[in-house]
Amino acid sequence: MSRDVRAEAARIIAALLEEQGSLARLLPKAEDKVEERDRALLRELCYGSARYAPRLQLIAAKLLRRKPGDTLVSALILLGLYQLEYTRIPDHAAISATVNAARSLGLDRATGVINGVLRNALRNSEQLQRKLSGNPQFSSIHPAWLQQRIKAAWPDRASGIFRANNANPPMTLRVNTCKISRADYLQQLAETGLSAEPCPVSPVGITLVEPVSVGALPGFTEGLVSVQDESAQLAALLLNPLPGEKVLDACAAPGGKSCHLLEQQPTIELSALDIEENRLDRVRENLDRCGLSAQLICADASAPEAWWDGQQFDRILLDAPCSATGVIRRNPDIKLLRRDEDIAELARLQGEILRSSWGLLKPGGSLVYATCSVLPTENSEVVAAFIAETVDASDNTPELLNGKSWGEKQPVGIQLLPQNSGGDGFYYALLSKAE
Amino acid sequence: MAKLEILEFPDPRLREVAKPVAEVTDAHRQLLDDMFETMYAAPGIGLAAIQVNVQERIVVVDISEDGSEPLGFINPEIEVLEEEIHQYDEGCLSVPGFYETVERPRKVRIKALDRNGEPFAIEAEGLLAVCIQHEVDHLDGKLFVDYISPLKRNRIRSKLEKSQRRRA
Repeated sequence: MSRDVRAEAARIIAALLEEQGSLARLLPKAEDKVEERDRALLRELCYGSARYAPRLQLIAAKLLRRKPGDTLVSALILLGLYQLEYTRIPDHAAISATVNAARSLGLDRATGVINGVLRNALRNSEQLQRKLSGNPQFSSIHPAWLQQRIKAAWPDRASGIFRANNANPPMTLRVNTCKISRADYLQQLAETGLSAEPCPVSPVGITLVEPVSVGALPGFTEGLVSVQDESAQLAALLLNPLPGEKVLDACAAPGGKSCHLLEQQPTIELSALDIEENRLDRVRENLDRCGLSAQLICADASAPEAWWDGQQFDRILLDAPCSATGVIRRNPDIKLLRRDEDIAELARLQGEILRSSWGLLKPGGSLVYATCSVLPTENSEVVAAFIAETVDASDNTPELLNGKSWGEKQPVGIQLLPQNSGGDGFYYALLSKAE
Repeated sequence: MAKLEILEFPDPRLREVAKPVAEVTDAHRQLLDDMFETMYAAPGIGLAAIQVNVQERIVVVDISEDGSEPLGFINPEIEVLEEEIHQYDEGCLSVPGFYETVERPRKVRIKALDRNGEPFAIEAEGLLAVCIQHEVDHLDGKLFVDYISPLKRNRIRSKLEKSQRRRA
């Protein structure tokens, strides 16, 4: 007998609800437990339920007298509602398959509740939509706290940010120009029958019209290209290391930006640091595939005494840990995993890493501070506070990159907002250290 | 250990009736190991010897999340303990990609021989009961699609035949 796909999806959603892991970590393990032909469905159910969870949770709350005691039951209800509202799975099949998943999870006693809620949702769909349409959490499909933060930071741009965060992301590639030119690779894609366009700002970026599995990309295993969003490709461009320079990538995993730095300037001496050993394995895999090498160090960027040899760096890339609110479309589980109080804590950590990294930088050197957040609390405010307290630090972020304007100018640095079929949300500041 | 090939519906060999095991030998123990490996690799939660083209009454089952509860049954016999009907959307490694609702008794007792030829009995309900009954059906040449309408069964048959032709 084969295993029930929806039961596996419900387990993952329940783990997200209990903050026991991310989709990126949970899904690969679950994929091994279902048959190959069911994997795309498993993925869609998990990503879709997470993406629409803020809305589905409101619908569930309206239909339930009280919150189910078992998180798996809440997860099954979200899963069922997602299928009813946002998939082409026939309604009766969505309901019966979800109830079935409850049985295979040993929740026979909850099948009545799940069945009842889903049938009610189906019957009262329009009425529920009408009742909830004025609720900003419902209309933005973001948790209330995040909706408020984004609206406060970007009053005129908020609806565009919400839309982009809720859309399916484009698949963007970075061409390894040590091995092949962008024009030649575009030619190879065309010959393979894949439609693609060059990115507007990144000179090595290509966006595919339709996402494909990496196995379908010509020369992927040989390292001709990597998958990386255009906004993320701007980090190496901005840091712009010169031949032979000593460079630090302070929070390197999964290693996309490290690889890019080496592809762009192969003679640099790169140290790639990350705090998690198993995430450093990903950096190693990526470097190996691209045929590149760097010194890999498993250490905490904010505690240099444990690993640093005292030799200052010419350039530092600090891609700081952040709320990832600029990449929600790629990681919709952020809507379930982040909390309002995380933001202040992240800002404190970001300031700390920035201050301790500064000491590793040579006088006259430059540091790129980057996050994939759209919240000024983690971005311009962190950097502005740092500059105010640091005499030898100044903002040197260019308004043009590769000759093009590239984002929203901030009091300090530049903010890229997530764009439908464009780049992810990112923040960058280029800081210079006085001689 | 070796991973075995799983026969796919409508292969006529899935319709054969398996013979009882007269004496449990090393060859049967090897077969059990290979069937577990095949089931975990598929991945699935139950497999009958008939599905790997061995016409003997042997099934393996593991419904746990982490592969920690392997159960092997030789010459299994099922006794219904509760006539109450349990509905479940079953899927089958020999009918890949299709799920249909099947009704079975909710609680059963299974008597069988273990890998050393020793008799044992367990009671099962819920998913475990569904899974064991599904696997024992295989030993009698029966598939879960036999419980659904001929119309649906023929639709599944033609879709699978088409994908088998594409692979051939």
